[in-house]
Amino acid sequence: MRRVALLALVLLAAAAGTAVAAGPPLTIFAAASLTDVFPQIDAKERYSFAGSNQLAAQIRQGLPVDVFASANVTLPDQLYAAGLCTKPVLFTGNTLVIVARKGNPDHLHGIFSLTEPGLKIVMAAKGVPVGDYTRTVLGKAALSDLVGKAVSQETDVREVLSKVALGEADVGFVYATDARTVQGQVAVFAIPPRFQPKVNYGACAVKASPNLAAAEAWVQRLRGAAAQSKLLAAGFLRPGR
Amino acid sequence: MRRLAASLAVFGAAAVAFAFLLLPIVAIFARVPPGRLVDQFSSSVVTDALVVSLKTSALAQALILVLGTPAAYLLATRRFRGRAVAITLVELPLVLPPAVAGIGLIAAFGRFGLLGEALSALGVTLGLTQAAVVIAVAYVASPLYLRQAIAAFEAVDPDVVAAARTLGAGPARTFFRVVLPLARGGLAAGEALAFARGLGEFGATIMFAGSLQGVTQTLPLAIYQEFAVNFDVTLAMSALLVVVSAALLLALKVGLQWQPSRRTSRFLFAPSS
Repeated sequence: MRRVALLALVLLAAAAGTAVAAGPPLTIFAAASLTDVFPQIDAKERYSFAGSNQLAAQIRQGLPVDVFASANVTLPDQLYAAGLCTKPVLFTGNTLVIVARKGNPDHLHGIFSLTEPGLKIVMAAKGVPVGDYTRTVLGKAALSDLVGKAVSQETDVREVLSKVALGEADVGFVYATDARTVQGQVAVFAIPPRFQPKVNYGACAVKASPNLAAAEAWVQRLRGAAAQSKLLAAGFLRPGR
Repeated sequence: MRRLAASLAVFGAAAVAFAFLLLPIVAIFARVPPGRLVDQFSSSVVTDALVVSLKTSALAQALILVLGTPAAYLLATRRFRGRAVAITLVELPLVLPPAVAGIGLIAAFGRFGLLGEALSALGVTLGLTQAAVVIAVAYVASPLYLRQAIAAFEAVDPDVVAAARTLGAGPARTFFRVVLPLARGGLAAGEALAFARGLGEFGATIMFAGSLQGVTQTLPLAIYQEFAVNFDVTLAMSALLVVVSAALLLALKVGLQWQPSRRTSRFLFAPSS
């Protein structure tokens, strides 16, 4: 039995050795809002995009992941505190916007018009980073009542976006970068800076990764000039404003 | 020796298949103690999801039975051109990926959908409402009932139906007193399958109906959302669905084993048995 295990180890090491030389594709769990930009930064890796809290839960349950890139800092910080990932690195930022149906048929104008009765508002659920940011915005604008009036609590930002883009919902809260991916299919309203939450993205390497060194290097590369220029071009902001 | 090896290999393969299918189900119950599992049912997420699931399932299954039974009877008893095509089309949603079903429902009944304008004119918006859950469940589950119901009606001996008619029973009386009792086992089996499929519906629901606790968040949607929040609650809801599904499967087996035609004849010719 021990010999079998040893043999397996040797084979594994050999496989890892050749793979490192070839650069193994890393498994990267990333926030849904990064869906378009991450493959532009690096097309070679294997991505899984979803609500950051879903991804963090999957990492907690031991899924084999190399890198976690979250739309907030709280979730990677929690994984770091639990000894599951390396110290999180801030790599980008974002702002929230309001998206309404194409052509703005409800004649909305900014955040305070959302109190209009009968409006179908969608947002992400509590715990999903964009859902928490939405609650912060509404809290700052003294509109917290709207949380209870939402017709759907989605599991990630792209679900919110598609509900509005498809016209099933009237209005939703997404990141500025998401709104840009469906230009012309939604009407976009800025949220005043005084209501904006601090949206910072944190990334970390998952400690259980067999490619930990490569994963850490990948996380560091997100702060590099090449990655930053792609992020800025997609509408993301410099981190830690 | 070779025969022994062969039978060992077969046995081994069977054991692996069996373990593979059962392990995830056992694991749901093994992860946390049953007491703590039951405790999770006090969570409002669980109770709300249970109510939404039961309510929408009941409505969807009522729709399926009321509309599906005559449709299945028609397809089973009438011979017309294109009947095989019609039966195949009815079965299509069965093999459709749930996400495709969701897109189809939005494209048909959504606000910008084919019927969107007509529905808006009537003041009806379906997307992101509880009605949307009912529609999604009925859409994906009905083919299972229809398929089984068509088979059940086809198995009814046409001579028995003819006999009932010659003995003076009208078409309605014949259907309710003769055909329906004879097909009951198959219909129940089909309904059990449809109920189980509807209860597990996820993809089309989350796309067309969204997810709102107490309104559109069914058990599978709550499981998905709670996974990111509390794994124990997720396990409890999963355990509940396993138990319900197992009960439905059992009902299905019983329904299919019931041979009403033989019973009837036994009753007719050997009343003492």
